[in-house]
Amino acid sequence: MNARSFGYQDKILLLQHGSSELLALAQRRGATLSKLLTGTSIFEQDLHKPHGRLHHADWLKLLQNCQQQLNSPELPFLLGSAILNSHYISLCQCLQAAKNLRQALAQLWYFRHQLFPAVYASAYLKSQQVVTIELRPAIGLGNQQPFMVTVLCSLLLTLIKQQLGSSQDIQVQLQSGCDALQLQSQLHWDCTVSFSQPCDSISIPLALWQQTFTDADPERFLAARRSCRQLNRVLAKQRGLLENVCSMQQLALPHLLSQEQVAGALGLTSNSLKRQLSLHQTNFARLLDQIRRDQARRLLQQGHYSNRQLAQQLGYSDEHNFRRAFKRLTGLIPTDFKGLFNFN
Amino acid sequence: MWQQHRYKMLSSLLLLVSGLLLAIHSGSGKQATEFDWLDILGEGTTLLVACGWLGLIISSRPAGRVTEWLYYGSLLLVYSYFLDLLDEFIRYPDTIRLMSWLESLPAPVGMLILTYGLVGWHREQRAINRQLQGRELFLRQHQLIDPLTQLYGAAYLQAVLQREIELHKSQHKALSLLVVDIDNFIQFNRQHGMAAGDAYLSQLSELLSSQLRHSDLVCRYAGDRFIALLPETAEPQALIMAQHLRQQLLQLADSQNEPATTVVALAVRQGSTKAAFKAAEQALAVAKQAGNFSHKPA
Repeated sequence: MNARSFGYQDKILLLQHGSSELLALAQRRGATLSKLLTGTSIFEQDLHKPHGRLHHADWLKLLQNCQQQLNSPELPFLLGSAILNSHYISLCQCLQAAKNLRQALAQLWYFRHQLFPAVYASAYLKSQQVVTIELRPAIGLGNQQPFMVTVLCSLLLTLIKQQLGSSQDIQVQLQSGCDALQLQSQLHWDCTVSFSQPCDSISIPLALWQQTFTDADPERFLAARRSCRQLNRVLAKQRGLLENVCSMQQLALPHLLSQEQVAGALGLTSNSLKRQLSLHQTNFARLLDQIRRDQARRLLQQGHYSNRQLAQQLGYSDEHNFRRAFKRLTGLIPTDFKGLFNFN
Repeated sequence: MWQQHRYKMLSSLLLLVSGLLLAIHSGSGKQATEFDWLDILGEGTTLLVACGWLGLIISSRPAGRVTEWLYYGSLLLVYSYFLDLLDEFIRYPDTIRLMSWLESLPAPVGMLILTYGLVGWHREQRAINRQLQGRELFLRQHQLIDPLTQLYGAAYLQAVLQREIELHKSQHKALSLLVVDIDNFIQFNRQHGMAAGDAYLSQLSELLSSQLRHSDLVCRYAGDRFIALLPETAEPQALIMAQHLRQQLLQLADSQNEPATTVVALAVRQGSTKAAFKAAEQALAVAKQAGNFSHKPA
């Protein structure tokens, strides 16, 4: 793992990978470029440079400006498909030419720092037939998280729809429960969407993973992957701080890492880790809770663990502690949660 | 918008400065101990609010007669309030009555002018409402307008449709919907780029709002779907309108390589918007399956 994590001020996003599409969409809807760029350090002249860059502070400001200037709830939905079909992004060319969904998603995961460094995904087998991909912020996205998740989900759903014909069997779970988003997602995504869920995730039936894409083209795929690799030389593979901390702790379960251990592994002092986490509007204890909660939910969904086994796997001293913690984190006791899931 | 009003802004600035000079010339400053801060606060706030009105008028209204009335009315108010605030700081000798006239006279005159302007605004609004027919029904909520096509979106349609259903039911009149769907718009966007797709959408929305009657309401329901609400229209009439629209769309499609569209008309017999939309989706699906309702560009 690359020990260095990026922050808000690292210029690791390419302007051509999303920002120019977003600006074009917003401008066609009547927003003025200069107003969209206010408060950011982006210059109009840089927008067309092939390797012009921006950092996440600017990107988040840009998203905020767009939502302030325009009243267009369809924006994240359109941005997802605009990014997917952009000719400038070789990663997206790569996705379109892949053999099947498995290959495409593997590429997206491997090169994710080129397109969505701010979101990281973890996949697990939810049941025998369905793989669930959970999406979490790799840096603190604040109130732009629903927007970012919607963009990413739109990209995936558009890809599936374009290549496999239909996205009806997909299920999307979103954390946000906002009305405008609910209405728009009904209109734009023809799949089941549920809101106010514990985690942003997308569930894809196993049958779709191996189905051949209509535009599968091994030669084009290899060429696109080559240019992705070339881009890797200028665009370092960096992960967000939250992603680094979480994946480290995830691997270490059932042992719990202390803040000092994590800081040491990231090459930081404990205090500077604390300070940096607070920049991302979170803290170490909260991250730890989050990881254990997600892991508990995942294990409970997968099946047949007793509370004692779960407590062991998640690093709680005994099952009572686990029950109490689970109640605190989800508002339900584990048995009820399991019942809820099996009932559905 | 404010660039149109440069000349006005300059002249009002001159007016205020001349008032200030006149006040300084004719009076003498008060001691700091004599200031009545509560008065200053009250009069200062009034002045700021009046200045805010001026700013809003300048930044939101195009030049024209109504704007002039509104502007000069507010300007006189501002002038009066400004001198009112000044006399908290400056004492005038009792022999000079000019300043107290200047303080009290412009305000009522300004109010009258402003009121006249507001009446003009009311008339103007009625004219604009007539202009907006076909794009708006009884409800106005500018947050729901889609910025690309300048039509109202799905949320607006839901709100309006609910009321229309109830109204039509109580008056035993027929209500119909017209659904226009672009076939395979994702594919079109992919082939020609999102910019071409957006251009097509705004072209289509122009065509729809020009081809329908004044009483109809066109909304952009989804990314690639428009729904028109046809009040007091029975199904046969709606079917004729759909046929007419199909021919118009055919002409639009002939000129360029535009995507095909499906047009469906149906009567609303359901009691709720949800059921009505569901019926519309079903009708659309049937039409797409049959394929004979849609037209393909040659």
